Amino acid sequence: MRNVAIVGIGYTPVFVSKRRDVCIPEMISEAVENAFRNSGLTPADIDAVVFGNMQTFEGVNLPHLWSADYIASLGKPVMRIATGGTTGMSAFHAGYYHIASGLHDVVMVVTYEKQSEGDSQVGLLGIITPEIMAMLAAGIDVTGQKGMGAIGGGSAGGISYQATSYLHHSGAGIEHIDAIAAMERRNAAKNPYAHLKDPEATAEKIAQTPLISWPIRFGHVCPTSDGATVCILASEEKAAKLADKAAWVWAVANCASDATTGNLIEGIITDPAEQMPAQIAAKQAYERAGIQDPRREIDYVEIYNGFAHQTLMFLERIGMCEVGEAHKLLEKGELEMNGSLPVNASGGVVSTNAIGTSALNRVTECALQIMGQAGEHQVEKEVHKALAHGWGGLMQYVTITILADKPKKL
Amino acid sequence: MEETRQVQGTWDLSTFKFRIEGMGINSMLKEMKEAKLIGNRCHQCGTVYLPANFYCRKCHIAIHEPAEISDHGEVMSYTIGYADVRGNPLDEPRVSLMVKLDGSDTWIMGAGEGMKPEDVHIGMRVKIKWAEQRVGNLQDMESFIPE
Repeated sequence: MRNVAIVGIGYTPVFVSKRRDVCIPEMISEAVENAFRNSGLTPADIDAVVFGNMQTFEGVNLPHLWSADYIASLGKPVMRIATGGTTGMSAFHAGYYHIASGLHDVVMVVTYEKQSEGDSQVGLLGIITPEIMAMLAAGIDVTGQKGMGAIGGGSAGGISYQATSYLHHSGAGIEHIDAIAAMERRNAAKNPYAHLKDPEATAEKIAQTPLISWPIRFGHVCPTSDGATVCILASEEKAAKLADKAAWVWAVANCASDATTGNLIEGIITDPAEQMPAQIAAKQAYERAGIQDPRREIDYVEIYNGFAHQTLMFLERIGMCEVGEAHKLLEKGELEMNGSLPVNASGGVVSTNAIGTSALNRVTECALQIMGQAGEHQVEKEVHKALAHGWGGLMQYVTITILADKPKKL
Repeated sequence: MEETRQVQGTWDLSTFKFRIEGMGINSMLKEMKEAKLIGNRCHQCGTVYLPANFYCRKCHIAIHEPAEISDHGEVMSYTIGYADVRGNPLDEPRVSLMVKLDGSDTWIMGAGEGMKPEDVHIGMRVKIKWAEQRVGNLQDMESFIPE
């Protein structure tokens, strides 16, 4: 296996609810252009392209081929990856495999979502499990009022069970979900590529937003965003020639479980907050990166948090703290940009969610922190190693990437 | 310009066919008509599924052993709904429960009845309230009520 480095990052100039001025490939080309400008590379440097976005969200079946010339891929291999919310990081991992294997030297990872052009709820119906389809045919009441299988609570309904279970087992309260949401919206205000920004956000202000489905409030939920992210990867040899600064991949890991609650690995399918895949993927990533004590050795974390409680829940699941400790670190200010364990200085997914980009942005944000290029949201401590987490699939798929400021000893 | 356009349509679920219908769901519905629950057990790892599955998802082997499951169980998680599926506020908050029925390793979701939102908690014991007129569909189970 060869070392792989991140040598270029490009975002669309903004992540917003509706980009009315551009179509999908035009929007993507803005991020491609920025990645070339920021890295000084040109299309001639790129050997292959990996492309990622959600299946069915815009109703476009082959966006990577529609965009072929806009992503500078003419005459080159293009592969599309779709794994749900994790898509961006899975595409990044595919780019890593391209280079680590020795097959290619420089690979461009292109991700986007333009949610304003589709209906995400309809898109989600397209990835529903056969069991649920069969039960729908057998009379589930989709309004959630009665009968077996009645879920209730609209789109936030499913995740609310996870949040309730997390609160129960950690000892945290809804006020901690309010507080982490407020922290991330404040962080987002310092990130020019964030969507929902509020420099004045407080837990009290979030607590005034209406409850959708206990314990999830409107203020805890991610937006739907339009935007694109590009990340250029290179082999160690090429990185030395092409880049002044780079962030190095030390480990990638992934894990799936069953499609409903994500913990069938353990056999008891009854705790949606257990997230066994996160525990397994993190353990594998630490082993691959040679990390013994993640809390001490990892300086910065980006968590995929479509819903605000997930920042705290996943910090515990990936072993960055003990079960029941994350909300206490939050209370002490340790998760803030000037804390000892800064998390989601970008504002996280809860502030910006162009889904195809969301798990890749966790990686690119870690890379920017390592390279000292995060600008106004650069954290106070020096970042030598950082962990990016992705969560998606049907609530049960987890991706982990560990980056560092120097190449790994092979 | 119209911001969002809605297109009404129907989705005929009968055009989809699943093995789980024959193996698990239809046999479960037949028993539900008698106010009973039948799932199945993996002979290798012992995991009990409701509705019955035609293979064990953990062991990935075919499984056939029926398992009778109680209509009493324990709340594993819950949510209180304040808005309907279209986002409109509800007149009364609605209790929804995730319940592990005794004798099964899987969960069933359903509405909670006869309980105040503030009283619902993880670990709470509940039982199924069966419909008086049962027709062999999932609404033969009306809701969960306190044990």
